Amino acid sequence: MAAKPGTASTTYSPVDPTHKTKPSIFTDSDWVRPDSRGFHQCRPAFFRTGAVNSASGSAYAEFGNTKVIVSVFGPRESKKAMMYSDIGRLNCNISYTTFATPVRGQGSDNKEYSSMLHKALEGAIILESFPKTTVDVFALVLESGGSDLPVVISCASLALADAGIMMYDLVTSVSVSCLGKNLLIDPILEEESCQDGSLMIACMPSRYEVTQLTVTGELSAPNLSEAMQLCLDACAKLAQIMRSCLKEAASAAAEE
Amino acid sequence: MGLPNASEDLSSEMEVDAFRRLFPLRYFERHLTESIRPDARPLRKARDTTIALGAVASADGSALAKIGSTTMLAAIKMEVMTPSLESPDEGCIAIDFHMPPICSPIVRPGRPAEAAPVLSKQLSDTITSSGMINLKELSLVSGKAAWMAYLDIYCLDADGALFDAALLSAVAAFSHLKIPVVSLDYDGKIVIMSEEQKEENSETKPVNKEKRKLTLSTIPFSLTCILHKSYILADPTAEEESIMETLVTVVLDSSGQLVSLYKPGGSVLVYTSAVQDCVALTRQRVKELQNILDDAISGMEID
Amino acid sequence: MEIDRADGRTPNQLRPLSCSRNILHRAHGSASWSQGDTKVLAAVYGPKAGTKKNENPEKACIEVIWKPKTGQIGKPEREFEMILKRTLQSICILTVNPNTTTSIIVQVVHDDGALLPCAINAACAALVDAGIPMKHLAVAICCCVAETGYVILDPTKLEEQKMKAFAYLVFPNSILSVLPEVSSPAKGEPVEHGIITSITHGAMSVDDYFLCLERGRAASAKLSDFLRRSLQSQFSGNSSKAG
Repeated sequence: MAAKPGTASTTYSPVDPTHKTKPSIFTDSDWVRPDSRGFHQCRPAFFRTGAVNSASGSAYAEFGNTKVIVSVFGPRESKKAMMYSDIGRLNCNISYTTFATPVRGQGSDNKEYSSMLHKALEGAIILESFPKTTVDVFALVLESGGSDLPVVISCASLALADAGIMMYDLVTSVSVSCLGKNLLIDPILEEESCQDGSLMIACMPSRYEVTQLTVTGELSAPNLSEAMQLCLDACAKLAQIMRSCLKEAASAAAEE
Repeated sequence: MGLPNASEDLSSEMEVDAFRRLFPLRYFERHLTESIRPDARPLRKARDTTIALGAVASADGSALAKIGSTTMLAAIKMEVMTPSLESPDEGCIAIDFHMPPICSPIVRPGRPAEAAPVLSKQLSDTITSSGMINLKELSLVSGKAAWMAYLDIYCLDADGALFDAALLSAVAAFSHLKIPVVSLDYDGKIVIMSEEQKEENSETKPVNKEKRKLTLSTIPFSLTCILHKSYILADPTAEEESIMETLVTVVLDSSGQLVSLYKPGGSVLVYTSAVQDCVALTRQRVKELQNILDDAISGMEID
Repeated sequence: MEIDRADGRTPNQLRPLSCSRNILHRAHGSASWSQGDTKVLAAVYGPKAGTKKNENPEKACIEVIWKPKTGQIGKPEREFEMILKRTLQSICILTVNPNTTTSIIVQVVHDDGALLPCAINAACAALVDAGIPMKHLAVAICCCVAETGYVILDPTKLEEQKMKAFAYLVFPNSILSVLPEVSSPAKGEPVEHGIITSITHGAMSVDDYFLCLERGRAASAKLSDFLRRSLQSQFSGNSSKAG
């Protein structure tokens, strides 16, 4: 039976009533993270380029349960309404699948994340190398497991590299959540939902330059500098993983 | 159209890629006369097909299907609804097909692809008329609560034969679906039962102890073919679809019933013999796909 | 094979047909087509200059707009639009007017079963009325398969709902060629036996489908006779509006 439009709003997803006491756990002094990681330990990262054949470049990234695909199209003709431009344009869009979040969503575009992705990447791309044209970076979050935006940013820079778009360096991004006194790197969804503050850095590790830094909520000054250092170190490590992924893909292509 | 003679003369001295772009139809016809396709397939052979079950942990059932590079991700989320008065002990299935901008250079954000609503309709028609799912199995409390299964199919990579891949991912997601154990609380709402509750046999009783998996009676599988002159090409790529536009999609279920024979226009007319050929090709393909799905399911059970 | 149809028709009997052309003054071509109580109005505007985005400018572009009797356009209507568009594309000669768009607006007046075939017939008559170059006419028919395996033609809405499966089939009109003997394409089968469009709903056996095909072809001959006759009579009636 096909869906009747009226019925969609009347459904609800069943919840587990016994599962509401979790925030208290986090305030304890000696708790462990739900996935038993250390506070300063990232989730294992997995990258693969060439996930979408019909795109000029693409990448798939998986950090625990966070799974994203990014496709890059172009450089191609800009929209007709656009003014003439000496430098290239970057167009970013992030959308979620309806089943990405624990409660079924609408699967719509995320405007805020889209503009943040744009700002994080813009500084790293050599826009002068494709004048008058547009490069489109489209991301789809298949499953949201926390730290979605940092994963999308790293994955997008890998997809741009796969598409052969000129960049100064890869952009890698990591976030840190502050819970009470503790700093947690690469938080999962549960941890993000009860954080006091968070910090996200997108940077170009080889040049040691930050392309974007976002702080939200409550973070003390010493915590802030510690969190920044944590992120920058993690970004450098992430860049190594991404670089080796690109090298693997290149050597596989050379063998063929 | 236009310059057959010119292309004849040019083709001897032109590079293959340029010839492919400038005279795509002639390029393909050259291959067809040799009974081979540009991707080295015989005319009536489908591309490699894989199914991965349980691709998305946040859904109740999910599957990733790949036919060549066409990739579809299907996931089912179960929600509770009040059944309609006409059918108090039946659940409901809502099927939606999405083409996000990542899947193809044609789709842009904010402007949904034209094909998406048509494919959604075609998929839900096919799944409904195949009778694969008994909607009574989705009932929880007669007249009070029933499952609404939201099936969302995302095209991750569009490279032809979208319907075939979408249908395959949909049936695979249904065969992977695990319905959560729920009980009725005091307010008449359906709630998930936690592990402890199940063990200690408390006063709340699960309402769906048995109905954890759907029995899929007859599973529909499909094959799309291109008809060009008297050639039949199974499982076309996007490039082939754009050049030769007569497509026939045959859907057969596992018991050999014809669920759908879909041919929306196209410049080539189909005669009885071609229909028979397409049905015969689909019969073979159904067996292949059934094996691939069975392998995927048995692979899941070992883990 | 005995069945009773509510309106006392035999299984192969069609409902009374009627077709009138040139009913709208502003449109370049228009026609209404009814089969029993199902009635559809089609209007053709064009060819207008330019094609829409993502269309091949080397060919004429055909655009179909479906107007339901009431309410908003949804997924089923979008599917109808796509099927109509693809069907009409295959019967029109698109290379005569490259880089133009022809719009066909289909207004449902009343739906009493076999709606899509009725709309295809109406659109086809309207295209003739507008003088759009066509390879041949098309006739559409709906065949229903009941549980016990018998086939009825041109069902009403009630019959459509009761039946386990139905097929919409579109065949080309038999060609009265002015040229001596156009070469027959496939193994001796006449052109009018080729399927332009086939849409099925509900599960049926493959043999049932072939039975539908056979019955549909037989009935399409009658339909195409009717279409040709009504077009010819109206052309001789008001020859003022040609092209």
